[in-house]
Amino acid sequence: MTAVLRRRRQWAPYALILPTVAVLVAFLLYPISSVVYYSLRDYNVTQPWKNGFAGLDNFRRMLTDDPLFWQSLLFSAKWVVVQVGLQLLLGLALALIVNETFIGRGVARSLVFSPWAVSGVLTTGIWILLYNPSTGVFQELANLGVGDHGTSVLGDPATVFPATVVAELWRGVPFFAILLLADLQTIPKDLYEAASVDGANRWRRFLSVTLPHLRDAIVLSTLLRAVWEFNNVDLIYTLTGGGPANQTTTLPLYVARKAVDSHDFGYGSALTIAGFVVLLFFSILYLRLSKFGSRS
Amino acid sequence: MTETLIRPLEVDPPRRDAPPRSRRRGEPGRSWRLHLPLALYLLFTLVPFYWMVVFAFRPTGSTALVPWPITFEHFDTVWNGLGFGVFFTNSLLVAVGTLGVVSVLALMGGYALARFRFRGQRVFLLALLCTQFIPGAMMLIPLFVIFKNAGLLNSLTGLVVADTAFQLPLALILMSGFVRNIPVELEEAAMVDGCTRLRAFFAITLPLLRPALVAVGSFAFIGAWNNFLFALMFAGRQDKFTLPVGLSYALGEFNTDFGALAAGGVVAAVPVVLVFAVVQRFLVQGLSAGAVKG
Amino acid sequence: MGFRRAVAVVLALGLALAGCSDAGDGGGGNATITFWDNNGGPGRTPIYEELIKRFEAANPTIKVEYVGVPSASVQQKYDTAIAGGSVPDVGGVTTSYLANLVGQDALEPLDDRIDSGPLKGKLLPGLVETVRQTAPDNKLYSAPSSGNLDVIWYRKDWFEAANLTPPTTWDELVDRAVKLTDPARNRYGYTIRGGAGSIFQLLTETYAYSGVEKFFEGTTSTVASSGNADLVRKVAELYKKATPEADVNNNYTQMVAQFTGGSVAMMHHNLGSYSDVTKALGTDKVGAISLPVGPSGKKTVVPNPTDGFAVFKGSKNTDAAWKFVEFLVSAESNSYWNEKVGQIPANTDVRSEKWIEANQPVRMALGVLEDPATKLVPAPVYLPQYSSITKTDSEPAYQKVLLGQLSAQEFLTGLADKLSAAQKEWEERR
Repeated sequence: MTAVLRRRRQWAPYALILPTVAVLVAFLLYPISSVVYYSLRDYNVTQPWKNGFAGLDNFRRMLTDDPLFWQSLLFSAKWVVVQVGLQLLLGLALALIVNETFIGRGVARSLVFSPWAVSGVLTTGIWILLYNPSTGVFQELANLGVGDHGTSVLGDPATVFPATVVAELWRGVPFFAILLLADLQTIPKDLYEAASVDGANRWRRFLSVTLPHLRDAIVLSTLLRAVWEFNNVDLIYTLTGGGPANQTTTLPLYVARKAVDSHDFGYGSALTIAGFVVLLFFSILYLRLSKFGSRS
Repeated sequence: MTETLIRPLEVDPPRRDAPPRSRRRGEPGRSWRLHLPLALYLLFTLVPFYWMVVFAFRPTGSTALVPWPITFEHFDTVWNGLGFGVFFTNSLLVAVGTLGVVSVLALMGGYALARFRFRGQRVFLLALLCTQFIPGAMMLIPLFVIFKNAGLLNSLTGLVVADTAFQLPLALILMSGFVRNIPVELEEAAMVDGCTRLRAFFAITLPLLRPALVAVGSFAFIGAWNNFLFALMFAGRQDKFTLPVGLSYALGEFNTDFGALAAGGVVAAVPVVLVFAVVQRFLVQGLSAGAVKG
Repeated sequence: MGFRRAVAVVLALGLALAGCSDAGDGGGGNATITFWDNNGGPGRTPIYEELIKRFEAANPTIKVEYVGVPSASVQQKYDTAIAGGSVPDVGGVTTSYLANLVGQDALEPLDDRIDSGPLKGKLLPGLVETVRQTAPDNKLYSAPSSGNLDVIWYRKDWFEAANLTPPTTWDELVDRAVKLTDPARNRYGYTIRGGAGSIFQLLTETYAYSGVEKFFEGTTSTVASSGNADLVRKVAELYKKATPEADVNNNYTQMVAQFTGGSVAMMHHNLGSYSDVTKALGTDKVGAISLPVGPSGKKTVVPNPTDGFAVFKGSKNTDAAWKFVEFLVSAESNSYWNEKVGQIPANTDVRSEKWIEANQPVRMALGVLEDPATKLVPAPVYLPQYSSITKTDSEPAYQKVLLGQLSAQEFLTGLADKLSAAQKEWEERR
C-alpha cells in the first residue's frame, strides 16, 4: 500500500518540505553544531582561565576514566526498554479496548488520555505528593491497615526503580493509546470480515489483520518515544535526583548535572555527543531490522 | 462527480469489529473482559488527579481524604497572587499557534515523505530524527543567541517558533505514517477523473486524515502547552510567562506550597482535559469498506 | 474543515497579538528597570509587589518591572542571560552562586555606592563579610539584605506531651529523636535531608558538633577531621532507626512535606522555611532551636548563604538600578521583607523593631549571631568548583554513607581532598 507516484515534476516534494527544512536549519543547525564544538573544548564559565581547545580529551576521559558514564548509559538503556515496552503494551491494550463500542466509551477515552495533558512540572509535583510518606497514598493505605506507615518507595533502593517507572508510565501510556487508536481507524473493515469468514477467532484476527497494519506505526512511535524517554529527565530529576547514590541516573541526567550544576559545559557536551551517537546508531539499526517502510 | 463515486460512506454507527455474520454469543462475558481491565486502568489514571484535586481544595495542613471544608484560597493565591490568568492566556496563544503551524507543516512534509520518492528522502528523515537526539537544555544558549538576534526573545511568537522547531520533527514523521496508511489509489482515482493532485488531496485524503490531525495536533498542542524550559529562559517579562513557569513557583526552596501547586495544576490541566474530551471523538472515524472497492 | 479554518484564524490572531504586544518603554525622562526575583513564588512575590509599589510612589520617574524566577532554575536563567547578553538591571542573588556571577564579570561592585549613601555603616558586618568573601578582589558585589541561620524546627507539642526539653547537644538530639520515634503511629524523631542540597546542611551539622573553627588550615580542608566524622556517623546511625526511610532521597520539598505532614518531630533547615512550617502547623506547635553543640561546647556556626541584590554591568541604567537596591535595603523595606519572610534583616536599624521580639526564631538567630562566643565558619562558596564538589560529586556519596555502602570517614576524606585541591588552585590564582 505504500504506493509511489511516478517521478514526474519532482519539485513538489521539495516545495512541501522546504518550510520544515528552513525552520530546522535556521533554529537547530547552529545549536547542534555548537554542542559538537564545545565537546572538543574545555569550557567552564566559572573557571574561564581553563578554557581552551581540548581535542578529544573529553571523550577520552569519558570512555576510560568515568565509570558513571557507563553506569548511566546502561541505566538509560534499561529505563528506555522498560518504559517503552510497558507503555506500548498498555497503550495497545487500551487502544484496542476503547476502540470497541460500549456505553461510556467517550468518557472512558477522555479519561484514559487525560494524563497526557498534564505538564511535566505538575506530573512530578503530583507524584511527589503521592509517594511522600506523609502526604501520599501509602500513608492512607497504612491508615486502612494495608502496608506499613512510613513506606517510602523512593527511598528504598529496591523499590525506587519500579516507583519511578510507574510514575512515568502514568503519563506515557496515553501517547501510545492515542496514536494507536488513530491508526486502528485506517484498517478497512472488510479485512476483518474476510478473516472471520476464513474462520479466524479474535486472537487470530488480531495477529493477522490488526498487528501487521499497525506495524509501521508501532515501529515509528516506539522509536520516537524511546528517544524522548532517553532524553527526558524532568521526572527522574525531581522524584529521585538520580539517586539514591546515582542508582537512577540516566545519561542525560548526568549531562544536566555536569553541564548545568557543575558548569562543566565542555564535558557535558561530550556526554551529549555520546548520547547522540548511541541514539543514532540504534535508530538506524532499529529501522533496518524492522524493515520499516517496506510493506507487502 | 468523482467525489460522490468514491467518497467514503457515512460513519457506521455503532462500530463493531465483531463480524456481522457469525453470531458471537457470550456478550456479557465479553463485556466484563473489556470493562475490568479498563476500570483498573482508569483507577490508576484517576488517583493522581484525585490527589491533585484534594490538595487544591483543602486547607493547608489538613489530612482529610475528602476536601471538606472546601476552600478556594489556593485558587486565589495562584490566580490573583501569582497572575495565573495571564499565564493561562499566554499558554493558550502559544499552544494554539504551535498547533496551527506544526499541523500545516507536518501535513505538507508528511505528505511529501509518504507519497513521493525523492532524492534526499532518507537523509531528511534521518535529520528529523537527529533533531530529537539532543536535549533542549544543551542547546539553550545558542538558541538564546539566535532568538535574541532575530528579535524573538520576550515574545509569544518566539515561543511558538521554539516549540514548533522541537515539535515539528515528531509531528511530521507521525503524519507521514498516517498518510501512508491511506491508499493512494483513492487519490489516483480522483486524478484519473480530472482532479488535480491538490484537489484530490483536499477532497479525499484530508477528510480521512482527521484522526491523524487530531492525534498529531494534540501532541503539538500539549507539547507547547507544557513546555517549561524555553518559556522560562526566553522570556524576560513576567507577563510573558506561561503556566508551567507559574507551576514551578510552587515548588521553590522556602516556597513549597502544595495547595498552590495543586490549584495551579487544576487550572493548567482541566481545560486541556476538557478540550481533549471534546476532540477525542474525532480520533475514531468509521471507514467504510466500500471506499476502496468503489 | 471548520476546525482547520478556526485554527488558522486563531493562529493568525495569536501571532498578531503576540508580536505587537511588546510595547516600548515609556518615553520622556522615565526609566524602566527590570528586577529578577531569585525565588519567585506565592510567598515572596506579593512582598516585592508591595515594595515596588512603594518605590514607584516615591520615585515617579522610575518604573520597576518584576520578574519572578523559580528558585530551582535561577542559576541557569542567570547563566543563560549573561551568555546571551540579555541581563536584568537588578537581580536578587544569594552568596551560594554569587561567586559564579562575579566570575563571569557580570556584576557591578557596590562599595562606593554604599559608602556614599545612607546605607554606610548600616549593614550587619557579619553578613557583609560573607558577601565580600565570594569575590577574589574582596569587593562587595551584592548589597546584603537578609541573613539566614540553620535551625532545627521542632514540634513543641510532641516535646511537651513526652515531657522532653529541646536538645542543646547532639547527643541529646539523638536521644530525643529515638524517644519520639513511633513507627506504628508514623512518627519519627528526626528527618535527614539526603537528597538535593544535603551537603551544605551536613556541613553545618558537622562543624557545629566538632567545634572546628576554620574551614581550611592553610589550603588543607578540615572537613575530614575526626569530630566531623563522628557526627556523620551518628546521623547515619539515625537513618531508618529514628528517621523515615524516604530520607535518603529527600530534597527540600519532600523533607518539608514530611514535617508539615506531621510525621516528624525535628527537622533541620533554616529560617527561610518559617512561612512554610508555620502556615501548615501554626506558631504554637512549632519552635526553632539553633544547631546543638558537640562535646566541646563551642558554638561554631557555618553561616547560611546571604541574600542580597546586585546591579548588573549590562544594565542600561545603573543609577536607577542602584536607587532601587538602596530602597530595598533601607530600614523600612528591609524590615517589611524580613518580617514577612522571617529572616534576619541586614540593616542594623531594624534591630529595634517590635516584630523581632515577637518572632522567636529570628530573635534566637540574632542572639546566636550577636553572641561574641559564636564563631562563624564560612563555607568556601567563592570556589568555582564549590557547587560541583558539594552537589554533583558528594551528594551521591553521602547517600552511600546513609545506605551503609561507604564509611563516614572515607566520604569526608574524599570531600576534603577535593576542597583542598580547589582551595590550592584558588590561592595560586590570587
